[in-house]
Amino acid sequence: MYELKPLFEQRMKNLLGDKENYEKFLEIAKSEPPRTIRCNTLKISPEELKSRLEAKGWKIRQPFSEYPEVMIVESVLQPGELGKSIEHVLGYYYVQELSSMMPIIALAPKPGELVLDLCAAPGSKTTQASALMNNQGTIIANDNKLDRIQILASNLERCGCMNVIVIRNDGVQLCERLARLNMKFDKILVDAPCSAEGNIRSNPKTLLMWNIKMIEKLSRMQKKLALSAFQLLKEDGEMVYSTCTHAPEENEAVVDFLVRNFNAKVEKINLPLKCSHGVTNWQNEKFDEQISSACRIYPQDNNTEGFFIAKIKRCE
Amino acid sequence: MEIKVLNSKEKHRIIEKLKERFGIKSIPYIIVQSGKERLRIASINLSTDEIKKLSQIANIELIGLYFATLVNDEIRLSIDATHLLKSQINKNILEISEKEKEEWLKGRDLQKGNVERGFVVIRYKEDLLGTGKLSEEKIGNFLPKERRVKD
Repeated sequence: MYELKPLFEQRMKNLLGDKENYEKFLEIAKSEPPRTIRCNTLKISPEELKSRLEAKGWKIRQPFSEYPEVMIVESVLQPGELGKSIEHVLGYYYVQELSSMMPIIALAPKPGELVLDLCAAPGSKTTQASALMNNQGTIIANDNKLDRIQILASNLERCGCMNVIVIRNDGVQLCERLARLNMKFDKILVDAPCSAEGNIRSNPKTLLMWNIKMIEKLSRMQKKLALSAFQLLKEDGEMVYSTCTHAPEENEAVVDFLVRNFNAKVEKINLPLKCSHGVTNWQNEKFDEQISSACRIYPQDNNTEGFFIAKIKRCE
Repeated sequence: MEIKVLNSKEKHRIIEKLKERFGIKSIPYIIVQSGKERLRIASINLSTDEIKKLSQIANIELIGLYFATLVNDEIRLSIDATHLLKSQINKNILEISEKEKEEWLKGRDLQKGNVERGFVVIRYKEDLLGTGKLSEEKIGNFLPKERRVKD
């Protein structure tokens, strides 16, 4: 692991509260997270996939009985083996980190709904949503870079997703245009571009690039994205705002901005992982009390990467 | 992306080809043509008019799933279309061996003589591995590059 910058260290200590928790965070940050896959139920059942993978000699664990599609590969595999198997080539599973599966579990899109995935590439969450919707309904999946769109398209094909329209636009601009069409969504996912502090286990180089100015800049952009998207919700529609970072400026501050500007309610989320509450005080700033309903996933609590997830309902 | 949603007559013509070659009788989705040859299928619940309006305000890159390519008067199914329509495919299926499967997944043509001509669905045990083209001395492989297993 790269050396932690003093300001990053101080902020994480403040967030985690006690010394013991911080020590656990440091310890787990040095190791890679477990290999996890998500069974693509559009093509194969979890039981069938598990039995096929076990026949290859892989040790598979399904950690959550209510989500059998979530699997941990406990065997030691050769580098690249997960992506080279015939089951992967045929789209029977998607290699996806456990905490990254949580935003869609929180959003719970249903067959027939109209869903917007505003920052969709590379497609882990879009393909997960499509599977939960059983290819019924419509997902509008947007990203703004062509190279990322190509990866998204390739993943959608491999997973057999038929209910997705892929759009290449700036996120804020797309929302303005959809508003002009008066298009309203049942569910929206804003999995916003972020400083990725939660990914240091799999991508330690994040620590080298970390700086507070980048966080402030990202926070401004995230507020614009979240605000534009929220206005596209139907009445009683729900939006999940998520990031793979710990910085409150990119998380609670964004949700607080929504709550203060709209009739928005932060809902409780029931996830199969240990979560900490969203923070309501950060560096002399006080956020709305509702924001404690948001979920902070810390790596040391579940042996995952880090994530932030908030579910916000549009009320009239 | 140029979007052309096939009308019922055009869709019927595609289904006739699929029925004749592979035994596929029903496509309960919209079929979108992109370019002259490529077909995509979509299970979205937007009307043709709504899709058109959306395409006027946003850069639509893709709709639905790449499904088939028209080749002269024939039709070649994509690997994912063979998965999607697996239960309906009952004609022109070619079973391959384990060794041939390894070659196929690397994107290589299978060197073997054939009496028949035309497109066939390649099967290894219960898995469908896309479509190949039979010619006199080989089975042509159309597995997209990004789906091939690297050595």
